[in-house]
Amino acid sequence: MGQTKQDEEYGYDLFPERNARKPTQITIRDSLFTFRNKCQVMLTFAMETSPYAKLLLSAMKNSGCKVFKDRHFSCEDCDGTVSGGFDAASSQIVLCQNNIHQQAHMNRVVTHELIHAFDHCRAHVNWFNNFRHLACSEIRAANLSGDCSFNNEVSRFNFGLKEHHQQCVRGRAVRSILAVRKVSLEEAQKIVGEVFDSCFNDHAPFGRIPHGNKDAKFAYREYMNRDRYYMNL
Amino acid sequence: MQPPRTCEDYLSEFRHCKSFRNRFHHYYTYGTAPSCQQWKADYHNCSEWERHKLTEAKDALQKSERRRLEEQKNFTPVWKLRQAPPGDWHRPLDQETQQDS
Repeated sequence: MGQTKQDEEYGYDLFPERNARKPTQITIRDSLFTFRNKCQVMLTFAMETSPYAKLLLSAMKNSGCKVFKDRHFSCEDCDGTVSGGFDAASSQIVLCQNNIHQQAHMNRVVTHELIHAFDHCRAHVNWFNNFRHLACSEIRAANLSGDCSFNNEVSRFNFGLKEHHQQCVRGRAVRSILAVRKVSLEEAQKIVGEVFDSCFNDHAPFGRIPHGNKDAKFAYREYMNRDRYYMNL
Repeated sequence: MQPPRTCEDYLSEFRHCKSFRNRFHHYYTYGTAPSCQQWKADYHNCSEWERHKLTEAKDALQKSERRRLEEQKNFTPVWKLRQAPPGDWHRPLDQETQQDS
């Protein structure tokens, strides 16, 4: 089983289990004591309690892409420090069980990847050939998932205050592109710069930039009441 | 007809907008202070609409919400929206691995 050039070009080499010819046998011992089980448990908790995730799941259901945990999520071992990914070819969100160890991190990764899935569901996103589309979804995911919250940035030792959120979003979008495509740093920065204004202001389905769980709860409430809202405009 | 949101929602949005946490995050994101007065005006109009059925209050509130919606669309999309979800979203995974059997 050799790596094809295409695998490397699209970042599939970060997720080695995706290409295995033989599906890995999972024993009961495995499922009780390993990272996979912890990943599954944290995923379920995220889907049931995180207002970010609940809103996205609801929005996807309403767009015709109802998410089934067993079909659309996959806990796997990944290379390096990557936390997750969205595989448009199989319509699956990959969660890196060896790199996600805290519930808060899982909530964030699930939200981030669901934003990609949501974009895939509602728009003709050309993931593989259009870098502007890829950049746009990465900008939205970094912007809306809490990736760039003040606390998260401080924990990465990135100290900044005025408009730092936008700097963080740009930086993380560039990093995400560099991780999965063979382009230069300058190229990635240029592409992100071109689409930034448009994509930073696209807050669907939240209607706002949720800065924390309280914001996300307000956004979720707004979303769940949208029928009454639109009927009375 | 009733207000687009409950009046409690408008009040809680106003309070949330004015909270230290929100003002901090707004500065962190946009470099400016948030403007929260519109939520207060909306709460006032909502109460007037519900209690006294005033048409001016109703019109003002609806106008405010429509403006809010317009502001959210203030960008040119990078991609084209779909008319229908992707056809393969629910396709069973087994079908992909059948190529080697």
